[in-house]
Amino acid sequence: MDISVENVTQIWKSRNGSKVTALDQFSHQFKSGQFSCILGPSGCGKSTLAQIVGGIEKATTGTVSIGAADNPAVTSIGGPSVMVWQSQNLFPWRTVIDNVAYGLEMAGVSRAERYERARVLIASVGLKGFESHFPSQLSGGMRQRVALARALILDRPILLMDEPFGALDAQTKIVMQEELLRIFDETHKTVIFVTHSIDEAILLGDEVIVMTARPGRIKEVLPVNLPRPRSVEMIGTPEFGALFDHAFHLIRDEVTKAMAEQNAAAGAKL
Amino acid sequence: MNEERSWSGLAEKVLPALSIVAFIGAWQIFVDYNKIAPIYLPSPLAISEALLAMIGDGTLFTNLGATLLRIFAGFALAAVTGIFFGLLMGMSRIVARVADPWIAALYPLPKISLIPLLIIWLGTGESYKIVISAITAFFPIVMSTYAGVRQVDRGLVKAALDLGANASQAQLTVVLPGAIPTIFAGLQLGMGVTIILVVAAEMIGGSARGGMGSLLIQAGQVMETEKVFAALVALTLMGAAIMKGQQWLDHRLAPWADHR
Ligand SMILES: Nc1ncnc2c1ncn2[C@@H]1O[C@H](COP(=O)(O)OP(=O)(O)OP(=O)(O)O)[C@@H](O)[C@H]1O
Ligand SMILES: [Mg+2]
Repeated sequence: MDISVENVTQIWKSRNGSKVTALDQFSHQFKSGQFSCILGPSGCGKSTLAQIVGGIEKATTGTVSIGAADNPAVTSIGGPSVMVWQSQNLFPWRTVIDNVAYGLEMAGVSRAERYERARVLIASVGLKGFESHFPSQLSGGMRQRVALARALILDRPILLMDEPFGALDAQTKIVMQEELLRIFDETHKTVIFVTHSIDEAILLGDEVIVMTARPGRIKEVLPVNLPRPRSVEMIGTPEFGALFDHAFHLIRDEVTKAMAEQNAAAGAKL
Repeated sequence: MNEERSWSGLAEKVLPALSIVAFIGAWQIFVDYNKIAPIYLPSPLAISEALLAMIGDGTLFTNLGATLLRIFAGFALAAVTGIFFGLLMGMSRIVARVADPWIAALYPLPKISLIPLLIIWLGTGESYKIVISAITAFFPIVMSTYAGVRQVDRGLVKAALDLGANASQAQLTVVLPGAIPTIFAGLQLGMGVTIILVVAAEMIGGSARGGMGSLLIQAGQVMETEKVFAALVALTLMGAAIMKGQQWLDHRLAPWADHR
């Protein structure tokens, strides 16, 4: 499914009345069946963008429409997309299997069937044996994998992933990246994947959207033409290295800018 | 190092019990040595004799039973109404707005001051004792239920909606369980005040059917001090047993709440 983001601006109002512009006139066409990675400094509005695309938050101005070009619909929560949250948002009172099966339960799928499907997903993210653990009994990396399984089980055409592998150790991260690549090659979902890692963005994405420091705008869209199926070994190739260098220079400027701004803001408060 | 650890572990287990034994022993010696008159301070031995006698002739259990029945009736009434209105307030802004001035006005009022009014309206029978304790317990329960619903992580509600839950499914599967630890805390507070109010109401109202409060007053009036102490011991044990039972039940019903 195509996703068309047009002139989205998001202004958050905090309790004390101050305003933060998280996104400023953001426009982009996410093509059906494409894997788009979003790279940008902390606080530039990546999570905000993912939530607006998912219909979870409503943009201050601008529109997000989803569907074929001749029949687009305004995005809505619980629609064709599903979110893997940066903060996971697992239900603390549900065991792993009941977290993973939640969406099916709400859709009225029978207990036997949803457990059977949940077990398959839990095994695929390497958590076999942890079905009846509560989230509080898991490590941060394990929780991220539960969050991933909980979203994947619904098999929605659009996957919104907000730093889903941020808390994983290097080895598990590679395994999960390859698992995600396998799923993507099989299902050709439309994926929007937020990350802080340049390597990860290039390894996974068909395009890497580099954002500016807040307020978030698009700094540059880098097409990634590495062949699929991808594998972690590609990280060593010269093509990969060239893309990395390019993205690194773009992002370094923005991170420096973002940090200078934060320091200035802190200085102004003192 | 290891030895030290095991010593302190042992001390942690033994010292609390030992402190109680030492206190009772010191009390016995103090009373015996100073020849204190039993109507002022009976010795632990005399108290336990009185307690055994009260168990033997059945007065303890009839009175304790009457009190327990009132406690559970008052608590159940408060729990059902308190949780119901608390959920209603948490889930509907209008209800919360309307309820707000009422609660703000009535919450700080010492409920015990309603006793004269309730006696005029209801007499000194069972209903007055149950109603006064239920009114008192209602407030902590309704307040914590409301607070519990409000402090539920909005991110979890959004996640539920994103996963396809409709609004009422989200209330039932996210807001309600999310509020449960806070509701349980309110129920414990409510149980505490129910016990206080039932016994106080029994002391003021008196009763043909007995109760620990009226037992205390009667024993006090005729200066049977060891009976007063025996009743206090029984009340203490009853309160502790109820509180422990409640904690055990909370743990059984919401096992995730302990370790988060
Ligand atoms: N619900 C909200 N209410 C108010 N302000 C918000 C809210 N969500 C985000 N913000 C603000 O909007 C800005 C962008 O936040 P966002 O979470 O989108 O950044 P991000 O790019 O995902 O950052 P990170 O990489 O650290 O996750 C921040 O300044 C943040 O404080
Ligand atoms: Mg974020």
